[in-house]
Amino acid sequence: MERPFLQPHSRAALRMTEAAAAGRFELQQCRKCGAVQYPPRDACHQCLSVELEWSVQSGAGRMISETTLFHSHLAQFKDQLPLRIGLVKLQCGPVALAHVEKSVPVAPADVEVRMRLQEGYAVLVAR
Amino acid sequence: MTAVITAPITIPYARFSENSAHWFAARALGEMLEAAHLDKASIDGLCFSSFTLAPDTAVALTQHLGLSLRWLDHIPMGGAAGIVALRRAVRAVEAGDAHVVACVGADTNSPEAFGATLGNFSRFTQDAVWPYGAGGPNASFALLTSYYMREYGARREDFGKLCVSQRENALSFPPALMRKPLTLDQYLNARPIADPIHLFDCVMPCAGAEGFLVMSAQRARDLGLKAVRVLSTCERHNAFPGDPIQMRGGWLLDRDELFARAGVRHEQIDLLQTYDDYPVISVLQMEDLGFCGKGEGPQFIRDHTFTNDGSFPHNTSGGQLSCGQAGAAGGFLGMTDAVRQLTGAALGKPVADAKLALVSGFGMINYDRGLCCGATILATS
Repeated sequence: MERPFLQPHSRAALRMTEAAAAGRFELQQCRKCGAVQYPPRDACHQCLSVELEWSVQSGAGRMISETTLFHSHLAQFKDQLPLRIGLVKLQCGPVALAHVEKSVPVAPADVEVRMRLQEGYAVLVAR
Repeated sequence: MTAVITAPITIPYARFSENSAHWFAARALGEMLEAAHLDKASIDGLCFSSFTLAPDTAVALTQHLGLSLRWLDHIPMGGAAGIVALRRAVRAVEAGDAHVVACVGADTNSPEAFGATLGNFSRFTQDAVWPYGAGGPNASFALLTSYYMREYGARREDFGKLCVSQRENALSFPPALMRKPLTLDQYLNARPIADPIHLFDCVMPCAGAEGFLVMSAQRARDLGLKAVRVLSTCERHNAFPGDPIQMRGGWLLDRDELFARAGVRHEQIDLLQTYDDYPVISVLQMEDLGFCGKGEGPQFIRDHTFTNDGSFPHNTSGGQLSCGQAGAAGGFLGMTDAVRQLTGAALGKPVADAKLALVSGFGMINYDRGLCCGATILATS
């Protein structure tokens, strides 16, 4: 059977579901060099170590750019349009694409990124 | 031995097609052979790029099309594929690894296939982009465009001017799918797709193929073919990974060497072909290739017409924004049309006295930015 379109495909990304369900903001961190990374990988993008762990991180960051989608390639999103998304430079390092709540001012804006479940899988939301 | 480009071929695009990528590849190869007066056995190298050949690769294509080769490459580099194919092919011919290398980008398009290609584009897309509204490249380029406008004071009218001028170039280019003139008012009043991207900022996906042959200059002369010289090439992948957002590309790292090895100056370039799935990326290429400084793109646009008969001819075919984006073939369109322009074989309005062209490629938004950049400087022979 074909996978549902919205399901993350990598094992590493599926690991986020647990944190999201528990209300924690966790990202991958390298045990060797300490680099924090996102999207989830199978090796450290900085030192190539495969010793990765998930650790609680601050979700604080700055939304540096945003867009409002008026079109989606997926039927599942059509009733959510227009849909606001943004790129957030997290203080802990990585850049994350996130859903953006209405209360967030227009980019650039300081935000707090959290994880929540969307159709059973973790997504990032800036608020 | 010096390698040259010859036999540039554009297989007319179709919005949707029931024919496969294999079919489009065969059409391109067939027409290239006919143009070069060669039989199929003369091709001993192939560099191929496609998004819709699955489950096949270029390996399967050799059997599918009955090609016996001694040099084969399959490059998954999308909008940079034309440049990278050329670069690989020139090296192969000059090293004697192959005598005649066909470089081909071919893709089909259907409403269902396009969504599947986007949703399965990369692991990072699947995990960290598609679940955020499935906006595809429209959304990715909206984020870049929005940032660029804020940072450098670009207006929608600036991007619109590029789109309008490309449409003017396309009106004389028979293969272009967009056949009607586009006014700035129509551009500005189009429906929003992903703010600040509106309808005419977006390429229209389609089916089609592009290709060219690379062979020694002597062989091209013996065959009586018009050819262009490859003065220099560059490619760069995942440049500036620490930038929080892509406001510059790998061209910036390589442009000095690109021009130095070609032995030419910017003001000598007669036409520029950028990869143009969205106008903001054309602006980044103009800046990073050194035609203007970073952030000077908006003023540069206000200073030029970009039409084939005006100042700073740009995307002489109308580019993908007016021709359509035939998948990986989109990464070859600038190349094939530059070769035609430089050999006096323009399908559309010729750029007068064109001797030097710069062709640039950009491809593969893996997550938040395009990872592949390349460029080449071509000259009449």
